[in-house]
Amino acid sequence: MLALLGLLVGALIAIVVHPTVSQELSRYVTLGVVAAIDSSLGGMRAYLEHTFNDRVFVLAFVSNAAVAIALVWVGDQLNADLTTAIVVVFGVRIFQNVAAIRRRVFGG
Amino acid sequence: MRRTSLALAGVLAITGFLLVTAASSARASKRAEAPRKTELINLVVDRQSQVNDLDQAVKDLQQQVGAAQQRESRRNKQSAADAARLARLSLQAGTTAVSGRGIEVRLSDSQRQPPNGQDAGAYRIHDSDLQLMINALFAAHAEAVAVNGSRIVVTTPVRSAGDTIVVNFRPVTPPYVIVAIGADTNDFEASDIASRFRHWTSLFGLGYSVHSVGTVTVPAFAGRVAMSDAGPAAGP
Repeated sequence: MLALLGLLVGALIAIVVHPTVSQELSRYVTLGVVAAIDSSLGGMRAYLEHTFNDRVFVLAFVSNAAVAIALVWVGDQLNADLTTAIVVVFGVRIFQNVAAIRRRVFGG
Repeated sequence: MRRTSLALAGVLAITGFLLVTAASSARASKRAEAPRKTELINLVVDRQSQVNDLDQAVKDLQQQVGAAQQRESRRNKQSAADAARLARLSLQAGTTAVSGRGIEVRLSDSQRQPPNGQDAGAYRIHDSDLQLMINALFAAHAEAVAVNGSRIVVTTPVRSAGDTIVVNFRPVTPPYVIVAIGADTNDFEASDIASRFRHWTSLFGLGYSVHSVGTVTVPAFAGRVAMSDAGPAAGP
């Protein structure tokens, strides 16, 4: 319940503050979103599997986002588009987490 | 339990914040690009119609000049001689529409898909192909040549701008129809260029055909023929 409230509060802050993101940085924000969705789903999965640890969760969230952004930055320096690679990896993980949550909730 | 919920709530708050930010910035960048694109398209269309208007105005004025010269030539003997000389010069310069028998050459890009690893450029007609063809037609005694209705005169450039061929500073689109009055079919077919094009056609499937035509009209050159900077050099 508090988690959902957090999501709403975050969205509301963004709507109220309305931060402007420059063209170059918007790619990083997109990656941050993907990493955040992945971490959130991972957290929910761990919660349902009763292995949730808040420290691990927050650390995983921060490090995932940091590594993703760092990789894209390195890719930009090397003129190689690593964004796709990161989106694919996170996409696969999101589906795996959703599948695990589904199995937990519906048992199938 | 309390800390668990707080951690989840905090991370989800960041997620929501990032989500909305990313979505709004993506929308904003799309919004920023859309008007610029339509603006550019409008600009191109606008300039094209301006150029067309000006071309038409030049043609009208040239017609008026021609009519005025004709009226003048009827006045006395001296101007009649001048008019005859002017007509002769204009015929040589290419500022008069001419008609007669000649040949028509059609060129177009290949319909075939270039195989992998091979140069796709060989399957297209380039500015150099048009140049070769025009030169070959003049070599076969052509007296007046036009590409897609654009008259070739001594100052005509045939070049490419990106993927488009530009003749007389106006883009031409395939199929390229080259009409040459006075060109001899046998001479042309016997030329090195014609045999090369036949070879390339069989290799790459270029659109290439040659017809002799009974009577065909080549339009007048509508651009400037007067020299503004170049003058006769002083003696050899």
